[in-house]
Amino acid sequence: MSTSNDLQKLNSVLDSFIVQKTIPSLRSILEEPITHHLRNTQEIPLINLDLIISNLEEMNIMSAVYIKCVGDIHMGVLLYLPEEESKTLAAKLLGKPISSELAGIATSSISEIGNILTASLINAISIDMGYKICSSVPGYAVEFFRTLLEAVVSDFGNEFDTLVVSNVELHGVNSGIGIHILLIQDPSEVKKLVI
Amino acid sequence: MNNVIEIKMGGLEIIDDETKELKTFVGSCVAICLFDLVSKVAGMAHIMLPKKSDGTKFTGKNDIGKYADEALSYMVNDMIQKGADPKRIKAKMAGGATIFAHESETSIFNVGSRNIAFLKQILKENNIPLVSEDTGENFGRWVRFNLHSGKMTVTSNLKKFEKTI
Repeated sequence: MSTSNDLQKLNSVLDSFIVQKTIPSLRSILEEPITHHLRNTQEIPLINLDLIISNLEEMNIMSAVYIKCVGDIHMGVLLYLPEEESKTLAAKLLGKPISSELAGIATSSISEIGNILTASLINAISIDMGYKICSSVPGYAVEFFRTLLEAVVSDFGNEFDTLVVSNVELHGVNSGIGIHILLIQDPSEVKKLVI
Repeated sequence: MNNVIEIKMGGLEIIDDETKELKTFVGSCVAICLFDLVSKVAGMAHIMLPKKSDGTKFTGKNDIGKYADEALSYMVNDMIQKGADPKRIKAKMAGGATIFAHESETSIFNVGSRNIAFLKQILKENNIPLVSEDTGENFGRWVRFNLHSGKMTVTSNLKKFEKTI
């Protein structure tokens, strides 16, 4: 188990990377000020993972992008937002309204946002700590959060019976678009980032 | 009294009380149910991965259902101890979806199909007939198994269906 001190430090380290790189990236894409909130970093037993599913997330269908980072650091990155908000995001990116279901270039635009935000984070980690990290191609899904979480945790394939989960929220001040990011790591990885 | 036992991620439960039901939620994971309807013994595991990559045995904590090979071995042995006849044990399963898709034809997010293929292989090796399944596709499923009837009920909130297999 990670100590609460390690988890607090990890929270601070991730927060600094998000402020340095991820927020400027999203601000540039959306052309508006971004607020953020790194809610917490906690080590959670697999059997209790559904405790992090909020009632709101249980009821809303989400658009989501999943990217797996491997190399010196092993991290799963899940970006998600309610499907209706993702239409607003895609419309803003493509410059035209999305009236029906997300498809084609609209889903590609959401995947690309995931790609850019993840790349900005691992770029910040690489520059600051010298780690070599590769990211997978983004996977895209529309589902309830419970399904997304289960699929990500299964794919992540950790061999411990706990996971370290960091929960980030980014908000476009003008558009109201809110992007949630879950960062998932093995407990054994924590020390690499809190040196 | 709650007669529904919910199985968490990587968990496993065995029941020998036919008033009880087993329930879990799966996306790319697989809910595998083994049952002997004569002895009224059944088990359900929430399989996350085919097998442990480092080859070590499970440590007997909360995740005995996590790996397909260990979970099936544990389930069969525990069911026999509770009175099941190995010759009568049958299987049903659901899940193994590919939730995240990539635009290219080669998806790297295929843990669901790997779970299904591996489970079918070890069921065959153990001579356990797979009598029905609802697997694959790209959506999550709530899965319930009723020991009294032997029926597995599969529900998708996204696709808005319920079926019995």
